Amino acid sequence: MAAVTIDSLLQNPTLLFRPKAKVLLKPPRSLDCSRNRKLPLSRGSCLCSFNPRRTIHVVRASSSETALIGNFDISSSDDILYKDIFPVKRIEKVEGKFFIRLDRSKDQHDWQFTVGCSLPGKWILHWGVSYLGDSGSEWDQPPKGMRPPGSIPIKDYAIETPLKKLSEGDIFHEVKIDFNPISEIAAIHFVLKDEETGAWYQHRGMDFKVPLVDYLEDDGNIVGAKRGFGVWSGALQQFSNVLLKSEASHADSQNNSIESKDSKNKNRCLEGFYEEQSIVKEVSVGNLVSVAVRKSPETGKVVVCLETDIPGDVVVHWGVCRDDAKIWKIPAAPYPPETTVFKNKALRTLLQPKATGNRSGALFTLDEEHFGFLFVLKLDDNTWLKFKENDFYVPLLGTSSVPGQYGQSDSTSEEISSKSYTDGIINEIRNLVSGLSSEKSLKTKKKEVQESILQEIEQLAAEAYSIFRSSITTVPDEVVSETETTKPAVKISSGTGTGFEILCQGFNWESHKSRRWYMELKEKASEISSLGFTVIWLPPPTESVSPEGYMPKDLYNLNSRYGTIDELKELVKSLHEVGMKVLGDVVLNHRCAHFKNQNGVWNIFGGRLNWDDRAVVADDPHFQGRGNKSSGDNFHAAPNIDHSQEFVRKDLKEWLGWLREEIGYDGWRLDFVRGFWGGYVKDYLEASGPYFAVGEYWDSLSYTYGEMDHNQDSHRQRIVDWINATNGTAGAFDVTTKGILHSALERCEYWRLSDQKGKPPGVVGWWPSRAVTFIENHDTGSTQGHWRFPGGKEMQGYAYILTHPGTPAVFYDHIFSHHRSEIASLISVRNRNGIHCRSLVKIVKAERDVYAAIIDEKVAMKIGPGYYEPPSGSQRWSLALEGRDYKVWETS
Amino acid sequence: MEVSVIRSSSQAKISKTELGCRDLRFCFGKSNDKNKIFSRKPNSVCFDSQISRFRKAGLRFTLKAVHSDPILESKSPATSKSLDRLRLFVGLPLDAVSDGNSVNHARAIGAGLKALKLLGVEGVELPVWWGVVENEMGKYDWSGYLAVAEMVQKAGLKLHVSLCFHASSQPRIPLPKWVTKIGESQSSIFFADRSGQHYQQCLSLAVDDLAVLDGKTPVQVYQGFCESFKSTFSPFIGSTITGISMGLGPDGELRYPSHHKPAKSGTITGVGEFQCYDTNMLNLLKQYAEANGNPLWGLGGPHDAPTYDQAPNLNSFFKDHGGSWESPYGDFFLSWYSSELVSHGNRLLSLASSIFGDTEVNVYGKVPLMHSWYKTRAHPSELTAGFYNTASRNGYEAVAEMFARNSCKIILPGMDLSDEHQPHDSLSSPESLLAQIRTTCNKHRVEVAGQNLASGAPGGLEQIKKNMLGENPIDLFTYQRMGAHFFSPEHFPSFTEFVRSLSQPELHPDDLPSDEAEATESVQTSSDPNIHLQTA
Repeated sequence: MAAVTIDSLLQNPTLLFRPKAKVLLKPPRSLDCSRNRKLPLSRGSCLCSFNPRRTIHVVRASSSETALIGNFDISSSDDILYKDIFPVKRIEKVEGKFFIRLDRSKDQHDWQFTVGCSLPGKWILHWGVSYLGDSGSEWDQPPKGMRPPGSIPIKDYAIETPLKKLSEGDIFHEVKIDFNPISEIAAIHFVLKDEETGAWYQHRGMDFKVPLVDYLEDDGNIVGAKRGFGVWSGALQQFSNVLLKSEASHADSQNNSIESKDSKNKNRCLEGFYEEQSIVKEVSVGNLVSVAVRKSPETGKVVVCLETDIPGDVVVHWGVCRDDAKIWKIPAAPYPPETTVFKNKALRTLLQPKATGNRSGALFTLDEEHFGFLFVLKLDDNTWLKFKENDFYVPLLGTSSVPGQYGQSDSTSEEISSKSYTDGIINEIRNLVSGLSSEKSLKTKKKEVQESILQEIEQLAAEAYSIFRSSITTVPDEVVSETETTKPAVKISSGTGTGFEILCQGFNWESHKSRRWYMELKEKASEISSLGFTVIWLPPPTESVSPEGYMPKDLYNLNSRYGTIDELKELVKSLHEVGMKVLGDVVLNHRCAHFKNQNGVWNIFGGRLNWDDRAVVADDPHFQGRGNKSSGDNFHAAPNIDHSQEFVRKDLKEWLGWLREEIGYDGWRLDFVRGFWGGYVKDYLEASGPYFAVGEYWDSLSYTYGEMDHNQDSHRQRIVDWINATNGTAGAFDVTTKGILHSALERCEYWRLSDQKGKPPGVVGWWPSRAVTFIENHDTGSTQGHWRFPGGKEMQGYAYILTHPGTPAVFYDHIFSHHRSEIASLISVRNRNGIHCRSLVKIVKAERDVYAAIIDEKVAMKIGPGYYEPPSGSQRWSLALEGRDYKVWETS
Repeated sequence: MEVSVIRSSSQAKISKTELGCRDLRFCFGKSNDKNKIFSRKPNSVCFDSQISRFRKAGLRFTLKAVHSDPILESKSPATSKSLDRLRLFVGLPLDAVSDGNSVNHARAIGAGLKALKLLGVEGVELPVWWGVVENEMGKYDWSGYLAVAEMVQKAGLKLHVSLCFHASSQPRIPLPKWVTKIGESQSSIFFADRSGQHYQQCLSLAVDDLAVLDGKTPVQVYQGFCESFKSTFSPFIGSTITGISMGLGPDGELRYPSHHKPAKSGTITGVGEFQCYDTNMLNLLKQYAEANGNPLWGLGGPHDAPTYDQAPNLNSFFKDHGGSWESPYGDFFLSWYSSELVSHGNRLLSLASSIFGDTEVNVYGKVPLMHSWYKTRAHPSELTAGFYNTASRNGYEAVAEMFARNSCKIILPGMDLSDEHQPHDSLSSPESLLAQIRTTCNKHRVEVAGQNLASGAPGGLEQIKKNMLGENPIDLFTYQRMGAHFFSPEHFPSFTEFVRSLSQPELHPDDLPSDEAEATESVQTSSDPNIHLQTA
């Protein structure tokens, strides 16, 4: 279906055309020439147009064309009304084998694990290990010493190592992994990936696991265990059987070594083994179908000659059409030999082998009134060949003027695919349109297609925008801020709120422990509001596997460790009463399952949104999702939701709407938005119409030799790209600014606070209105402390973000600490001077020990131990605030 | 309504299903530029369905079956008038190709082209700069532009090429270096104002036929450029390239550079200055004055005209009542000044039409919309720009007549401007001026294509729509211009909305009569190339 195709395109903005190419390569197995109206976009739809001018391949194939055409008895070429060569791709299965070998390396101490594959391709071993004592089925990255050269770490749990041929003559691509059996490693896990086709080779949908230790007491019985991938099963069971047969000799060699007590108990015995498995790869093979149309001078009839070099029995499934609409009709007899009528819709003719060459063909004699000749090729019961997902179409009328017009351009195949890509979409619309013409659901279907096209357009536009934007010297936002400073922002949009928002993060990592957080926070509502905050961010409200709420399970169950749903409503009501807007922390990227699938993998959901594994992305081997590939990064600990599924999006939109209605949330803090395409966020925000929304796009900054790079443009570009994908409907936490403040303050390198163009170096320098600046949150600080702000310098951080453009966010722990009065004073300076998210910053000093800036010509500030005083010119500055290593002035 | 197609041998009724499918296509016109429908009259439905290029003829059906003309797909001037479809183009970045003939931000343009194609846009406009292509006199490097043309063709879009014989300041695209060099020693090849300041962004029209460029006249140089373009792009001309704009002066427009600085939006622009003070212009003026028996009038321009940024009433030339513009001297000067501009336009357009006349492309020239001070009697902005258009004289007659003579079409920018959004008290009226020029063009049967001045003008899109679909619709509009702002979240969604609203049929498909019982007409057609249609 077109929708599916488009969705697959939407997932990966950077590889726009590759997924499409993959789709094209798939053998069309679902053809139904009866034009099944229930599946209007199935490849069987026949009303598609095919424009032969675009078979630019003609040029390429001209030599074979002559050869093919030459086989027909054509008295003179003048008779030919039309001829064309259609390239076809079909999938051939190539069988090969791959092996796994475990043996001792030469020095008899270390062991070597080898994986090889005999099929051609760009093979990658995607692997990880599990350690002794790991209870879950998750992978970890192997120790550095175990990684063969050329390995690339993938996130924090896997390694990708390419398979290489040891020498040219070798059949096998191999990778060897050396390891020390004394290590803590319990097993190696892997899947094979073919980079050429993007295909994954798994073991019955799971990873392969090679246990290096026999930990019977853990699983009881490895072979029969029901757990997901912690087991050997199927064809590889014998390995574990082999491994279980512990032999004294090996045990001896290990007992000689120094082992931890723990692993001694493990009865660690290794035995070498070698196992081969057959592997099947689908390879696309190109063939040609040549068609020539000539007019018989004697009978006045039109003869269509069709010939192909596809081996084996080829059946032409054909018909004619009377007009452009290309509706299949059965022409009047006579038909070629070996022709049968198929369901009154089409004819089937078996192509007859030609005397010369490995070709087969047929001649079709038709009355001249037909407009076009339509066909598809059937190779066996499952395999159909079509032209770019459409019927082959051969015009019969008015074609004499055509030759000479095509073949005018020569182009590479890549360009053809990009061309066929837009055409493909247009054809798919046509298919949908015609297939649906008699249906009542016409309007809704029409809307769906429109939406997917519009989504596609939006994504392309976003791509173009980000390139244009980054290649110009002046950032559009500057222009915006220039014009908007003259008339302060009043327009409310979900990316900015009013533009004068100040955010309070209303919880920390421990807040769930009291089990009555909502009630505790309610007590503080008026206090928080009086400090000058306009928006408060509440913790994730749903039932969750982890107490903090970030592993949601039943989205409609809002009784959590923070309190009951009624307490939550009460809290929101009190916050509204004191004039604050409330953000709900929504986790849309992943969701914990209620049930296991038949393989024992947790990927079936319960509760009101009882999705199955179609709602889970397909590219995380841990969760065996049946959805599409993820449109972003994977969060490793729970099934990632496949947002490309319409039902998922519909359900999530409904849920957000329900939260707005039922709880009274005004907006969202979106968790882990790296995990899915920003365009979906836009969709959700448009559906739920928040007052304010901010996404957590947190990835790591660039470092060289352990030292943070001055230029973090690529880091902030990724965040800006995400905001852009949401069409600016959401802001994003300015992780870049936090990171740069860390280095600047910790190492006394205040020069870092100005980028090459003299602007703030974080997101706030590029797209201030969408940057939500912060110095700490529940993950980076609190009791987790993943990335804690330099101790004792917090107020310098706040002096920066609370005087600068962007929407500042203050962490709960800092509000209710000794910093409180200083923070309150900074907020009041900000509000008094009307500093907003688009205010203009003029950096006046960015030196080793001092940074100073003037904002909107109303507020001056400096941080760092160095000296700065604002100039005593036309403006008169008076000191508004002073603290440890920071000062703030305002005009008087 | 029922439409049936009768062929010479057999009669086949288009089934209800097919009709339904046509109906649907109408609503998808926005996604597919090839199927567009506009129902401008309440009971007529026209469509131009070109699903396959094999179908060489589009059919036009009307309920009343008054006429059904065969319409050829080609864009030959004779038939395009009857093509009842609106074609939207979007301008590519001015610096799509710049120094060294490399394509700038090709990836962004590629993505942009796809987006536009999906949106249903007909094509894109590509500015082709003299200063980029002809780096050495008579040596042309088209490689960058060829690459863009190929990209456009691959994207399945049409291309309108603007040949730019001027320079651009933002982004900076200068005149060819060798021209600039000649200008350094010989500044009289440029226009000059009363204070002797030269305008170096294009050549003075007074040197058109003077051999000032290393022994060649500018017209000869332009001719070489156009001929090289034609032979280099011949595979695209008529198929991908459907239109060519001939650069006629500053910013490509037919005018004098009477305003050196582009007008800032929201501010009141001054009247501008006459540009008749370079030696060659003064020579022409002198000859003209002597021929008219008033040699004293040929010594310089009007002494009592205000300067660039001044209002008309600051000096006596443009005064509403008793201004010298109404005196015999004023008429003498303005007649000469404006006729020089028209002759210059004629030289370049006749050159273009003689070169491209045998191809299927349309040749265009751009006429500016000098709308400031339109509500005064003297129309000073138009006068300094070279249009002798006042409250008592239609200065566009001569211009339109010149375009008609050369079978060229006019591009009018500023279709996004509305009176409402002009600064208060500015006495400007873009809408009235536009109406005047369009009426004049209609009179001379010169087709008008539209353009906007700047994307993002307040109410701009609505105004464009009004101009495109109004009582006197235009069939080609070029929207300026692709770039960061164009694709920004502030702009692109509204543009999408705009495009969709343009192609929305006025009749919802559900409301189109589709009952076979209502059969009222049939159209006869035959398969032979001399397609013949009749109403039964």
